[in-house]
Amino acid sequence: MRYLIYLVISTLLVYGLPYSTAQDDFFDEELLLKPLASGHVYAYFQFTTLWEAPNNVQTFQHSHLFPRGLGEIIGRHKVDELHISLTEGLWNYEKWGYPVHDAGSGAEIFAWFNKNVSNVNNEWKSLTNALAGLFCASLNFVDSSNSMSPEFSFRPTGIVKEPPNSSYLRYSSLPREIVCTENLTPFKKLLPCDSKRGLATLLNSAYIHNTNYHSLGIHFRSVCRNAGCTKSSLELRQTVSLVYDTLTEATQDWSIRKLFGIGIKGACPLASLSNVYIDMTSNETVHVYQLTPSPNTKVTSFRGGQQQQLAVYDIRTYSNRGMFNIAAIYTTPKTSSVTYPSVLYANRYIIGYGQERGSLVTKLHNNHWQSLDVILLENIPWYLPVYLHTVKVICNGQQIKPLIQRYMPGRERTRPYYLELVLRLPPHSVTKFSIELDYLFLKWQEYPPDANHGFYMGPAVITALLPIARNYTALPLDGSTITSSFNASRNGYLVQLRTESLLISLPTPDFSMPYNVVCLACTAVALAFGPLHNITTKRLVLKNVTRNWKKKLLSFVKRLTKDTKDKTD
Amino acid sequence: MGLLTDPRTGNGKIIKFVLQWEKWLCFFMYIGGIIWTMLLALPVFNDSTYFSENALLPGLVMKECSLEASAKQFHNELIEEMKRYPDKMPYPWLLAKFNQLYLDVYMHNFTLNYPFREQQFTGQNVYGIVRAPRGASTEAIIVSVPYRPISSVNLNTAPSIALLLAFAKCCRKQKYWAKDIIFLVTEHEQLGMQAWLEAYHGVTSGQDGILMSGDLSGRSGSIQAAINLELHGMKIASVDVKVEGLNGQLPNLDLVNLAQDMITKEGIRRTFQRRPDVNVKNKVSKWWYQFNTLISMIVTQATGVPTGNHGLFHRFGIEAITLEGFERSGRGPEVSFYQVGRVVESIVRSLNNLLERFHQSFFFYLLPSTDRYISIGLYMPPLVLIIGGLFIKAFASWIRLQDTGIKVEENENPDTKISQLKQNKVEEFDIASIASEILWSHIIGVSIMSSPKLFTSIGSQLWDLPTEDSIYYGFIVTTVLTMFWPFYLRRPRKSDNVALVCVVASIEVATTLLCVAMHNFSLALLTAIIYVPTALAISPKREINSKFRGLLHVFWILLHPFVVASILVMGYTRLNFPGEPLMSILIKGIQATKHAFVFSVIDSMIYGNWFYNVTVAILLPNWILFWNVINSKIAFDS
Repeated sequence: MRYLIYLVISTLLVYGLPYSTAQDDFFDEELLLKPLASGHVYAYFQFTTLWEAPNNVQTFQHSHLFPRGLGEIIGRHKVDELHISLTEGLWNYEKWGYPVHDAGSGAEIFAWFNKNVSNVNNEWKSLTNALAGLFCASLNFVDSSNSMSPEFSFRPTGIVKEPPNSSYLRYSSLPREIVCTENLTPFKKLLPCDSKRGLATLLNSAYIHNTNYHSLGIHFRSVCRNAGCTKSSLELRQTVSLVYDTLTEATQDWSIRKLFGIGIKGACPLASLSNVYIDMTSNETVHVYQLTPSPNTKVTSFRGGQQQQLAVYDIRTYSNRGMFNIAAIYTTPKTSSVTYPSVLYANRYIIGYGQERGSLVTKLHNNHWQSLDVILLENIPWYLPVYLHTVKVICNGQQIKPLIQRYMPGRERTRPYYLELVLRLPPHSVTKFSIELDYLFLKWQEYPPDANHGFYMGPAVITALLPIARNYTALPLDGSTITSSFNASRNGYLVQLRTESLLISLPTPDFSMPYNVVCLACTAVALAFGPLHNITTKRLVLKNVTRNWKKKLLSFVKRLTKDTKDKTD
Repeated sequence: MGLLTDPRTGNGKIIKFVLQWEKWLCFFMYIGGIIWTMLLALPVFNDSTYFSENALLPGLVMKECSLEASAKQFHNELIEEMKRYPDKMPYPWLLAKFNQLYLDVYMHNFTLNYPFREQQFTGQNVYGIVRAPRGASTEAIIVSVPYRPISSVNLNTAPSIALLLAFAKCCRKQKYWAKDIIFLVTEHEQLGMQAWLEAYHGVTSGQDGILMSGDLSGRSGSIQAAINLELHGMKIASVDVKVEGLNGQLPNLDLVNLAQDMITKEGIRRTFQRRPDVNVKNKVSKWWYQFNTLISMIVTQATGVPTGNHGLFHRFGIEAITLEGFERSGRGPEVSFYQVGRVVESIVRSLNNLLERFHQSFFFYLLPSTDRYISIGLYMPPLVLIIGGLFIKAFASWIRLQDTGIKVEENENPDTKISQLKQNKVEEFDIASIASEILWSHIIGVSIMSSPKLFTSIGSQLWDLPTEDSIYYGFIVTTVLTMFWPFYLRRPRKSDNVALVCVVASIEVATTLLCVAMHNFSLALLTAIIYVPTALAISPKREINSKFRGLLHVFWILLHPFVVASILVMGYTRLNFPGEPLMSILIKGIQATKHAFVFSVIDSMIYGNWFYNVTVAILLPNWILFWNVINSKIAFDS
């Protein structure tokens, strides 16, 4: 008996040890809660998996904390970097500041492929199809007709060996996509603790989809493992951004239970970090509230000229007393104010009326005292042909010349219109970019169901490096967890604003009974036209046929045989 | 398909028939058309309304807002504020209220450069947006109220602003909105609304540089529908649904039905053209009642002037109606804002349900009562009958002018004799002179159309006249000049040429009327009823029927567009002030005519109303052509 036990232990030691040393991956779960000045509460979940392994197919054959399904797709399609977001609602940059991850409404996906991918378009198509299956989203509608390779807007955020070549980048957005529980469930299944333990238990679809804005995100990249960056690790960030409206309720008080319908049960046992942060910066300036229970620690972070107060709750120390709840009790009446509007924000809209032509306008607001350089990426679907000569960039009544301009005209059904401008926005200014476009009349099979609903145009992307970090929450490029954003002063703060997606009424045939009648009538007219044309253009002339005796004989024989044939019949 | 293409089947017969019975045919078609139009109000000739758009789900939602208490509170505060600003909009109060309700609040400034004088008017609109929690601001619904200060001559709308605020408060709390709701309070009646819409869509509908609509600081997505509220009291006895928009455009019938249905559902008396439905057994009196409602709608629509702020939305493809609530006059039941609020709520909830923009149901219809409609397929044939006479007349005269070889049978009809006479003449038309005549008359029309600015500047500089006087006198002068035009080219012309002008003029007026009917049926119908009989009677001067010529002259002068307009306005004044002495009505009528002229010109400049342009640039030249035909001297060379 004892011998047997030794045997088991020794085999465990022999076979188990290599595995345990191979499991060099870490999982962190974090939740950031930030009461916004506008009276909303921003909740940001981040589940980070760091895996000290190189990015190749062999790596993804065995996985521990890293989701296997996603890993296989990434390995098979040789993806260097992948960003997916599924969003419902619109982030209000003017009032809410900047989110940790920007996302346009609907589905948005962009990926950098490895340099040794020979046919990027094919890989892209099959990658999006695979992801569509994984997330139950309509990503399979992504193809070359709605994808582009912007040159400046998207740069690799992870480590790169050589200067990036944008031909390995694909970006696409599906603004019509509706995000729902069916996307949240597969998202939760990618987490190591699923939604059984840890912060993921808070992701209840009934509460999450009852918010003013919700966005699921998947962000995969390679990061440096050490300071010298001699080795690389894989980083996967799964994020959920939510904005709750506390002004509609009787009191402005909020708590974990009120926001998510359930308290925090405990940390995920696999997680090395399991924290809740509450941004208290606005406390006692805009709002006045008390947190119960009081936090473990309070952190003061200086970043980009801004001071930030954060309450940190380590779940493991609280959850040993069972389920626990963090509540903010307001002592002042409800307030909604925008003390400091965001440094940079944008609006986009269509002007003109009718179903023939219109004009696309993007308004860029610069509230900073310095001029700002921004990259404006206009993603215009092929059914809205634009006229490049009508591009106008006007600020304070004066035309602004773009510093750099990239344009690739679209092609019907194969390629969208790509326009990327680098603009210098004067200080304290509103700059208006406008371009005229036509509304194309599509083939009748190309109209979606509910054809009269209209067509969507995906958001424009405005990229800028902000000089100050006011209302800024995003993590620094070199950081992986929310903790890395504390005291992370850098030279610039990258934002990638997404504007509104637009609903456009293209000329739509009347898909109804009278339409069918018109089609039928047209067919009848077309049939009648044939004989009419014949009679008017041709004349029947009696022709005298002179036949020689051979032909006469032949016809006589023919007639004879025909007569006998008829008779026999 | 041989049936369609056999060239010999009875063409000649039809032509012969038309030539023989032309007068009677035209006469009966005209009479038949009018009778048919009148019969449209009979239940046999129209249908009861129904919902085409299933997604509206009318009245199926749980209504959660109880607006009476909060509306009352807002109303009391607003009345106090209005007293402080007797002729201005209380912006600070409105802004504060919207802000307290946590809406996204914006102001909109606009300027009107008065076209006839160096004068500027400014105005401000206030609007708040409830951002849809279930959407990304891609679509929007508008709830609007025109603000009317105490000094305004129109009925007050303070209760509707109170309801708007109360409804905004209720909406802000709900999570189910898929479309943004824009709460808009406009100033200066239709001007403010027009400016706001132009700013939202970044266009100018009228002439450039007159209405400076500026830019909006806050926007939402594409606007799907709009409800304009004009409630005149905190207790409402009946709600009138107003539909007629600019240039006679109408909202989708589904929206009208939705409003009418919801009003009935809450037990409020619904009206159309301020006429409630009556339940009479007598079929004739019922027909007469509905016919009057129908005529009331036709007359309103024909002017092309919107009956409320909703009318300005239609140009932008936005379906909109006005709900006008009247206080009790005399006896009858009345309801509180609890019920009215539920009406507004259920309409907006239904609009929120919409998946597609309104595209089903009808955009062209006439309403003889609140629950019956006449579709375009039913009302067009009578109008075509009325107008068709002109085509037949033109066709017959054209055939007679041709040397067609069709033998017209000998009978006592004098026309045929002449047509046979004509066949003997083998002469060419004087195309150049005819074309120049047509061209010149139209050039005159267009120049008169663009002359009001000139009139006012001359009038104000030389005689210091006010705008309306200068325009009025300017039009009188042009009227007299156009009447005398034939007399300064009194050179005898050949009968054929005059007849050809008559043919061209008939076809022009008929085509114009049919085109107008496509946009504004009512205008085409009324114009056709007035013009067609006289136009049918006009033919080149002949010695045979010269005794009727005098009468024709008088009739045609009465049908000069400016004269018709003056007579109509006079009649309207007589209706509005019954029992006044004739002299005072005449003076009032002239004053009203002056104003009507100025308004139609200004409407065309600000709103892009084409009533004035079509009348002066097409109908007037046509009138001149016919007038030339009546007065032309014929050179008979027998």
